[in-house]
Amino acid sequence: VIWRFVQGRRSSRKAVLLLGLCDAGKTLLFARLLSGRYRDTQTSITDSSAVYRVSQDKSTNVTLIDLPGHESLRLQFLERFKAAARAIVFVVDSVAFQREVKDVAEFLYQVLVDSTVLRNAPALLIACNKQDVTMAKSAKLIQQQLEKELNTLRVTRSAAPTSLDGSATVGPAQLGKKGKDFDFSQLPMKVEFVECSARGSKGEEGEADLEGLEKWLVKVA
Amino acid sequence: MLDFFTIFSKGGLVLWCFQGVRGPAATAPVNALIRSVLLQERGGNNSFTHEALTLKYKLDNQFELVFVVGFQKILTLTYVDKLIDDVHKEFRDKYRNEFQQKGALGLLNGTFDFKDDFMRLLRDAEDSSKVRAPTVMKTFEQSLKSQKTVKCMIETRGEKPKEKVKNKKNKGSKKDGTEAVAAPSKVSAADKQLSAAGDKEELTKDEILQKNREEFFRRHMKAGEKSSRSPKPDTQKEKGKKPRVWDLGNSNAKVLDYSNSATNGSAEACPVEEFDPDMALGDKNREPGRLYDLEYESDDEAEEEKVVQNPSKPSVKKGGLGGMFGMLKGLVGSKSLTRDDMDPVLEKMKDHLIAKNVAAEIAVQLCESVAKKLEGKVMGTFTTVTSTVKQALQEALVQILQPQRRVDVLRDVMDAQRHRRPYVVTFCGVNGVGKSTNLAKISFWLIENGFSVLIAACDTFRAGAVEQLRTHTRRLNALHPPESHGGRTMVQLYEKGYGKDAAGIAMEAISYARNQGFDVVLVDTAGRMQDNAPLMTALAKLIAVNAPDLVLFVGEALVGNEAVDQLVKFNKALADHSMAQTPRLIDGIVLTKFDTIDDKVGAAISMTYITSKPIVFVGTGQTYCDLRSLNAKAVVAALMKA
Repeated sequence: VIWRFVQGRRSSRKAVLLLGLCDAGKTLLFARLLSGRYRDTQTSITDSSAVYRVSQDKSTNVTLIDLPGHESLRLQFLERFKAAARAIVFVVDSVAFQREVKDVAEFLYQVLVDSTVLRNAPALLIACNKQDVTMAKSAKLIQQQLEKELNTLRVTRSAAPTSLDGSATVGPAQLGKKGKDFDFSQLPMKVEFVECSARGSKGEEGEADLEGLEKWLVKVA
Repeated sequence: MLDFFTIFSKGGLVLWCFQGVRGPAATAPVNALIRSVLLQERGGNNSFTHEALTLKYKLDNQFELVFVVGFQKILTLTYVDKLIDDVHKEFRDKYRNEFQQKGALGLLNGTFDFKDDFMRLLRDAEDSSKVRAPTVMKTFEQSLKSQKTVKCMIETRGEKPKEKVKNKKNKGSKKDGTEAVAAPSKVSAADKQLSAAGDKEELTKDEILQKNREEFFRRHMKAGEKSSRSPKPDTQKEKGKKPRVWDLGNSNAKVLDYSNSATNGSAEACPVEEFDPDMALGDKNREPGRLYDLEYESDDEAEEEKVVQNPSKPSVKKGGLGGMFGMLKGLVGSKSLTRDDMDPVLEKMKDHLIAKNVAAEIAVQLCESVAKKLEGKVMGTFTTVTSTVKQALQEALVQILQPQRRVDVLRDVMDAQRHRRPYVVTFCGVNGVGKSTNLAKISFWLIENGFSVLIAACDTFRAGAVEQLRTHTRRLNALHPPESHGGRTMVQLYEKGYGKDAAGIAMEAISYARNQGFDVVLVDTAGRMQDNAPLMTALAKLIAVNAPDLVLFVGEALVGNEAVDQLVKFNKALADHSMAQTPRLIDGIVLTKFDTIDDKVGAAISMTYITSKPIVFVGTGQTYCDLRSLNAKAVVAALMKA
């Protein structure tokens, strides 16, 4: 009975969420992982989900869920799917990162301080997408910038005016350790950075450069 | 003629795309369409203009698809709506299997080879809009006039009106024909008319005219007075002069008497029965003057009423039974939502929203958009129409209240601090909404977080405005004395008295802050009505010249439909009087006096819907601590609460 209960708990979290800002490349990544082909995409209005066979020999499947990145929708959909998340892939547009670093950090912060996410501690992968473009920033740089930004956000978000019904905008959760600069290793979940390119360096006909991502998925499943 | 036609799923995958004549990439305009229309719940109207293109779209809520067609704005293509509908139907039927597969795999793996069908439908649509060639004028030989003998052309007194009527009928039918040309959907009626008009057979045309005339008269006559006239051939009409019965003149008084024969011309609308004292008084044993209790079996009702009641009762019973079955049927099993199902629920929701202080036109637009999103959607088992609509409306409201951009003032202030320039915030709004009070609250909050503030008193009009700010400054400095902040004064007031130019004071204040190293400058302006053109110009000049980092519109939560007008006019004034290419508009909203409304929180929705800018602060009282940030879920819960 206990074994079945544990099994039930485990199997209820079989989803891998694809999160990120608008135009980060989540839907194309989703299409590439599932079908291997390049598809044109538009701004997603709703989520798409499909079952993904992780690798040839293992028989485990995960459900890939692609959530919309638009500001009005992202939190709503995150609410809906966060309980089922076994792993989160946070897709970052490496080319526009310099411009959007504050928005990326804010969304990441909102994901990280969410109470359900903190409790379940799903594995987190930050996929630095669009590496096929020459101006793309490397994963190392993105990691450093994000850590700095999240450090500042800790202070500003906890100082924001409290919410209307009394609950604070940020829960009692404090990211990382107080007193020390924020570091991704301080989080309760495993965080990795990977570079990838959904479009692929050979253009639309070629293969996508998703090796790191696929390896990580195998590990996580 | 079309620039492009795209079919994509709501999850973002483009299923099929057709690039037309000039074909720049279709993604940018379609993304703009999605962001501004669908995501902001402006889906009531189904067309959208983006730069030089007009985009028309259609949602398929059953299979989660979106169909978008784009064409040049200057063209007016009449067949577009019909084309979208046809394409929708064909596409859905053809690829039904792929859609019904669970998950997105069907969409990903299916190939949607739709080009041939689409070209065929496009050709059909274009042809159907061209088929109504304007009617060619008949030559003299073709017309009837040449075929008539001279004798019958001679018009005597009695015949003349006949000709006129005939011409009128002819013109009327021709006009109908030309109108049908413009609307290609009314095919059948137009066909008949035109083919009839072009017919050379004299008799057929006259027969049709006769029939039209009969219809015309029949419609204007009460039943029972005149029997329908049989169609008479032309020759018979020439024989005897029958009195022409006109609708508007020459009729006898008898014909014009439309009163009911039963009433004998009495003034009362409904017939009154003869007064029967026995029946009216009913109970013969009653004591005069005593008031009896209400009896359920009331015999002394008039007979008429009883008759009226009886048929209604069995119908109600039958309706009740049928209604119960219908309800059960609606609960179990899946059926798709139609407009008729949703309309009563949406009406109720719209009234509910208006009762909660949402502006009326915004409530209407919101309900329209929700209807568009739900039309054709398949409901799951055990969900009623009401619950589905409520759920959709709730999601739409939360979506509207979510900020479209980052709302983190402290982060931006830190940024400006790093660049060694002050962060300038301007407060604008109509009179008496709480600008100065909330300015003081916000400066308290900033000081608590360790930023030094300079308050610029640009309200040079209202008596006591400068003194009010001076009192606030003194109080704040008392709360946060310079000793506890490393010797520097946290709050200072920059004022130049009354009657001066506000824009000039603001500019001087900003340069003073830069020199003295203040972190934030809060600019307080005078309240002004949105219709007051010179004052709006002055405000626009202040904002355009000083280029503040944040322009906050202060609005009170008590405002109702006025909110729409205020925001629209303020934005318009700011846009009109700015010289720059991208004018500075309102960046955020401060919603004040929130403690005075308990759950009539509709003003929040109205304001964010109109501007699509976030609510940055909420003021809930008159002390310094009464500053909150918006919690979208709580507000929507209060709105939807019965």
